[in-house]
Parts: sequence; structure tokens; C-alpha cells
Amino acid sequence: MKKSMKKLILVCILIVGVLAMALTGCNKKNEKGASGNVDENGVTTDEITLTFWHYEDETTINMLAEKFMSMYPNIKVECRVIEDMSTDLSAAAAAGTFPDVFEGTDSDTALANQYWADISEYWNADPENKNLMATVNEYGIGCFDTSKRFAAPMVYWPSAVFIDRNVIEKLNLEMPRTDWTWDEMIQLIKDATVDDRSGMKYYGLGYYNRLDSLYGIAACSSEERAIKGEFGFNGTDFDLSYWAIGEQQFSDLKLAGYVAPQQNTQAMEDWSGDWGTWFGATGHVAVFSEGFWSYQNLWGTEGYQETYGLDIVPYVTPNVVDEKEHNVISTMYMGGVSTSCKYPYEAYLLLKFMGWGIDGWKARLEIYSDNTITNASGVPLKNSSMPMPLTLDEEVWNGYKALFPTDEDHASYWSDYFASVTRPVPYGWYSIAGYWNFCDQYFNSIGIHDLVDNGTAKAADYTEEATEQANYYHAEAMLSYFGPNGYNVLSDEEIAQYEAVVNSFGK
Amino acid sequence: MSMKNKQPKTKVKLGKLEKREARAGYFFIAPWLLGVVLFLLYPLAQSFYYMWFNIRITPLGTKFNFVGTGNFTQIWLENPEFPQQLVTYIWQTIVEVPIIVVFALIIAIMLNGKIKMRGFFRLIFFLPVIIVSGPVMNMLVSEGAASIPALNVQSVVSAFDTFLPRSVAESVGEMFSNMIMVLWYSGVQILIFLSALQKVDPSLYEAAKIDGGSNWECFWKITLPTIKPMIMLNAVYSVIFLSGNEQNELINMIEAAMFSGTKEKGYGYASAMAWMYAIVITLIVGLFFLLLGSKKDVYDRQVKKAQRAQKKERRLQKKIQRRGKRNARNIESKLKSNKYRTHESSDNY
Repeated sequence: MKKSMKKLILVCILIVGVLAMALTGCNKKNEKGASGNVDENGVTTDEITLTFWHYEDETTINMLAEKFMSMYPNIKVECRVIEDMSTDLSAAAAAGTFPDVFEGTDSDTALANQYWADISEYWNADPENKNLMATVNEYGIGCFDTSKRFAAPMVYWPSAVFIDRNVIEKLNLEMPRTDWTWDEMIQLIKDATVDDRSGMKYYGLGYYNRLDSLYGIAACSSEERAIKGEFGFNGTDFDLSYWAIGEQQFSDLKLAGYVAPQQNTQAMEDWSGDWGTWFGATGHVAVFSEGFWSYQNLWGTEGYQETYGLDIVPYVTPNVVDEKEHNVISTMYMGGVSTSCKYPYEAYLLLKFMGWGIDGWKARLEIYSDNTITNASGVPLKNSSMPMPLTLDEEVWNGYKALFPTDEDHASYWSDYFASVTRPVPYGWYSIAGYWNFCDQYFNSIGIHDLVDNGTAKAADYTEEATEQANYYHAEAMLSYFGPNGYNVLSDEEIAQYEAVVNSFGK
Repeated sequence: MSMKNKQPKTKVKLGKLEKREARAGYFFIAPWLLGVVLFLLYPLAQSFYYMWFNIRITPLGTKFNFVGTGNFTQIWLENPEFPQQLVTYIWQTIVEVPIIVVFALIIAIMLNGKIKMRGFFRLIFFLPVIIVSGPVMNMLVSEGAASIPALNVQSVVSAFDTFLPRSVAESVGEMFSNMIMVLWYSGVQILIFLSALQKVDPSLYEAAKIDGGSNWECFWKITLPTIKPMIMLNAVYSVIFLSGNEQNELINMIEAAMFSGTKEKGYGYASAMAWMYAIVITLIVGLFFLLLGSKKDVYDRQVKKAQRAQKKERRLQKKIQRRGKRNARNIESKLKSNKYRTHESSDNY
């Protein structure tokens, strides 16, 4: 009996010892991988794998990943398209399979859960980042009004106003100058709305982006305070009086019948005879407040404009004050290195390559300029939501401009357009902490757009309350994300300032 | 009346065969037990624990921040959609369940009759249960297949609006706009009713027919009372199905809150929502149980009454016996202490 007990104890000790050694061994192996051996550029020479999750065209990103892997043969890149940011990333975090690098459409989610790591060190040391569109560094896009950088703008689509030259010609109107103002745009919308009752009505405006979203940024002049975000956001607080003017103006245009019906509505069926018609394919709308991608994905595809009798040219989203250089609101996905990533520098290199880096863009241009390369839907990759470069590198821009119409009739419009979109300002949910909470819990929940659009309320009535709400949600988010319980990067003064806003809310 | 003597409990040792049978029994229910523990009790306890916390799942680990009833406050004060959806859900369920059950019963009676291609029709009515899985249903609904095109839902709402509160009228209107879907949910219920109908003793119908009973009378006097437990079963099944399917807005809301990355929501917030929703479902099930729960018939009631009277009688007997014993003990003790006095000159007593 005693002998068997001794044997049992011995076996137990052996098992525990072997397990401990194995675990220690595993741990050491991981540690070695993380610190690893590096080359003269500081890039690991170990065989590593990085995961990259994104929202872009899958074929394009997979091809870019191949190019990156050819530059760094010891780094394997695995890519995946994100279906839903919150669901996919929270599930990955819970399962311990979080991606090393990802781009997101909702910065609040990433910040609230500390998905993004601080990449200031890499960003500041990289000379390439000095040659980006001015607002990226000037406004600290990706820093979220802190002294640290947690994300970088990856994919950039400026807002755009397109004009159908055929409609302007049919209505005997003059094409506006390319550096037009806001009022000139509104006047054109009114002039181009013609209903002679003898045929299909001409509408001045067809919209994807609401004019109030554009107006908030367009109202910023260089002499005024610098608006660096939606709803008159200046970096610390909001002023929704800018938004209210745009909201009311847009609502008035809608109520007065200057705005074309939306797809899949009864109004569209009454106008065009088909429920499913898109106003951009009617040839009866003069001005379009559309996403930049609408040109590449639809109007710019072969034979589209000929089929529907269109002649579409781009215009910059006009400024209220007549200035040559001004900010434009933009769709701008933010990307970052995750806090769980074991190879942050290599992940940063991948992030840059996939986003704003010159090498990455040169690789993209090679892919985009070859029309024979198509995605799973058979669409050439330049027609699949191709973004715009954020780098100001001349070579990249020459290659990029060549992807758009270069004929004499259209080239000048495109050239002027590209020259006027170098000061992007992202929509609020990409760049302002707490913006999504404000929209979700206040702005959208009381349905301000609907109330103003159907004429039951005036936008100005909400200015004061909405400003107070926006400031509260922002201050609360700043404390939560960047305060002592979050990234802990706020100074005592900043904490006191945000706490004062939160404490004064509702009093 | 004979008294039962208290028998001491004797332990009966199980024989080999009984042991083997017991083991086999445990073996067969083991998967179910395991399932209940892993997929019911554990998540239930976990969600109960979670609902008191704000939970953030970061890439570096999960952070729990105790908020007490904060999640509930947040839901009721800052999420107007949840109470609205809850009210809509309650009305819809209360209206839709009887429709589903009645429709299922009618179809089951028709399918139980002697009709040509009976098997084919049974298949047709059960088919939606098989094909209407989540994604298929979502696609059908998005294509408008769940509504009857000729039905003017707005006029239905207007009609109900005249004598019902607006929210109730809208819920009823919503039900009409999804009428086809509601009827598609009846497949399993039809099957349950069908099996119950086939169990009804045909001799009852024969006897009724001999006594001159019509089909209508047979339905009310024989069919319905016999299958009554199945009505409740189907009502409960329908409540549970309507409460948990992919078309249910509350389920989608809870799921969205669970995976939401915003700082207020997450697992804790979703758990609080889910528990409140579960309580409401339980109340609705309780309501249907009260309405449809089988009441005992007259004979059963009389048997129970007699049993209660017998029990009372036994208790009385015991009481008398106990009192007799007590008195005897008292007399005996007094006799021993000579305190018990009889008449001294009791020779002639």
C-alpha cells in the first residue's frame, strides 16, 4: 500500500514537472517571438503572421497583402472582410482571436473597448507622414483630441457634388464655375427644378448625403474658428447653430419640391413610373450630393452614362465663404494596431501599406490600372469603391488622376476637383469621441431630421439643447475612453474640464 | 377505522438488474442533463451575474465594472425603443397566439378528415417549418412574401383605432401585415393537434352519433374537451416560438446590444434586457396557463372532496386517540402520587 502511494505521488510530481516545463517553454517561445531578432530597419526577421481585418474590396486587399508579403517575405498576412464591426470584433476579443490590424467605421466602439494601441511613436518617427493632406496632422485625425495617436486615416472618399451637364444644357442653364460657393449651388438647384407638366419633372437635387451634413463643414472659413468635425465641433465642444442653418435650408428645399424622390418609394414610382429607379439614372436631375464612389461604381462604368443619357462631372462641395482652399467633409475609415498585437511595429508597417503609404498606393495603382483584374462579382477593381490617396506624393497622384476621364471635355473638371479636396474632415463617427452615442441616444432617437423635414419643427429650436447634449456625450466619452479608467492619457486640466461639462449637464 | 401503524423505513438494496437499469437510465438522460447544465443553467446563472456589471471585452481581457441596477436604469431611461418594443411584443403575442392556435386546429381537423391526397396536404402545411429557417425567412420577409398584397393594413389600423388605443391598433395592424408569416408559424401546432385528434376514441363519436349528435355537437362535446391539454401546449409553444424567433425585434435588439461596442452596452446591458424580457415571457405563459389550464371535471372534484373528508376524519381520530392517551397518563401519574382521590366511602360506589 505504501509503495503504491509513493508511486502515485512520484507520478503526480513528474506530470506537474513536465507540464510546468512545457508551459514555461511555450511562454519563452512566445516571448522570443515578440521581442525577436530585427534587421537594420527594426523589422523582425522571425517568421510571423499578422491578421488584417477590413471593409474594402476583398480581391484588392488580398492582392495588396501579396505585395506586402513580397516586400517582407518573413511576414505572412491573413486578411478578412468585416461584416459588422461591433459583432465581429467583440466576438474576436472574447474568443482571443483579435486581429493585429483592423480598419473600422465606428471609432467609438474601438475606443470604448481599447481595441487600438498607441502608435504615436511610429507615426511621429515616420517622415512619410509629413507629406499627407494637411488636415490629417493639423487636426490630428486619429488622435481624437488627445496628445496620442490611436488610429490613422486609411480609406478616404471626399464628399462630392456631381452635375449632369446634359440636364443643364437641356434646361438652357449655365454651368457654374468649379470653385463655386454654397449659395451658387442652392441657386442652381432651384433654377434646375422645372416642372412644365408636359413630361417628367426635372429636379434640382438628388441626394445621398444630406446637405446639412455638408453645410456644417462648408460654413467654416479660415478666419472663423476652425471647425474640425461635424456639428460645429472645434476640438473640445460643439456648436450646432451651423448645422441648424444647413438642416433648415435642406428641409425647405425638400418641402418646396426641389429634391428628387428616393429609390423604392411611392414618390419615385409616381415620378418615374418605377419604384426601384435611382434618381441618378433618370437624366432628370441636375445636381447630385453623392458619395465619391458613385462615380466609379456606377456613372464611371463602361456604357452607363451613354445608356441613361448622362454627362456627369464632379464639383467640390462648395464653401459658404468664397475661398479657393477650404475643408470638405469626407468618409474616412480609421485603422489601427490592436492592443493585443505582439508585433506592433510590423503591424504599423502593414497598416501604412494598406492605407496611406506611398508603397501601398503604388501597388494599388498597378492593380487599379489593370482592367482585366476583377473581383468576385466580375467588376474591375477601380470600379469597386476605389478610395483616394491621402499622400501628396506626386507620382502617386499622377497615376491616380490617369484612372479618371482625361479627355479635353472632362479633364479640367476632374483636375479642379482633385485640387480642391486636399483638406478632408471626416464625418463625426470616424473622428469624434462620443459622437455615436450622441446620435444614437439623442439626435436619432428623437428623430430631428424627420421632424424638420416634414415641417413640424424648426432646426433652430433644437440648437441649444442639441449643443448641450453633444458636449455632454463628448465629454463623457473623453473621460471614459481616455481618462484614468481608459487609456489614461488626459492631463488633470483636461479631466477637470470634461468633468465640468458632465457635471453641469442638465442643471 | 383502522389506524396505520408507523412502519420503520427499511433500506432495500438494489439487485444487479435494477442497478444496471438505473445506470442505463442515468446514461440515457446524461446528454440532456449535460445540455441543461451547460447550455441552460450555466448561461442563466452567468447572465444573472452579468446584468449587474458594465462589461467591456478588450483584446487584453474582459473588464467588469459593477454598476448595480445601472443597466436597468439605462435601458428604461435612455433607450426608448425597448419599452416600446416590449409593449408591441406583448400585444402582438396576445393577439397572434390565439390566431395561430385556432388556425392550426382548423387545419388539423381538415387534415384529419377523409380527403384525397391527405398526406400531400399534411406535407404542404408542415413544409414552412422546415424551409423557414432564419435566413430564408428574412429573405422572404424582405421580398414582401409575409404580407397579403390585397390587404390594406392602413385601413385595418384606422378601423381598430376608433375603439382601441393607438399602440394596440398598430400592433394588430402589424399582425395583419404579417398574416402569412403568422399562419406559417402553425406547422408544428398542426402536427400536435393532428396526433391528439387521432388519439380520440372513435367509439365516443359512434355513441354520440347513435344518440343523434351532430358533427358540430361532437366537436364541442367530444373533440375539444379531449384535446384541451394540447391547446394549452400549443399556446405555450406558440408564445415561446414567437418570443425567440429571428423576426422578433426584441431578440434582435438584445443581440445588437450584446455585441455593441458602445461604452453603455455590451454583455451586461444585454443580460439585463434579456432578464426583463424573460420575466415578461413568463408572465404571458402564465396568463395562457391560467386561461387554458385544464380544470378537473365533476367526478374528479368529488373524488378529491371525499379524499379530503377522509383525511380530516383520520386527523380527528388521531386527535381523540392522543387525547385519550394523555388523560390516561395523567390519571396514572396522579394515582402514583396519591393525588387522585376517589369517594372515600365508595364501597357502594
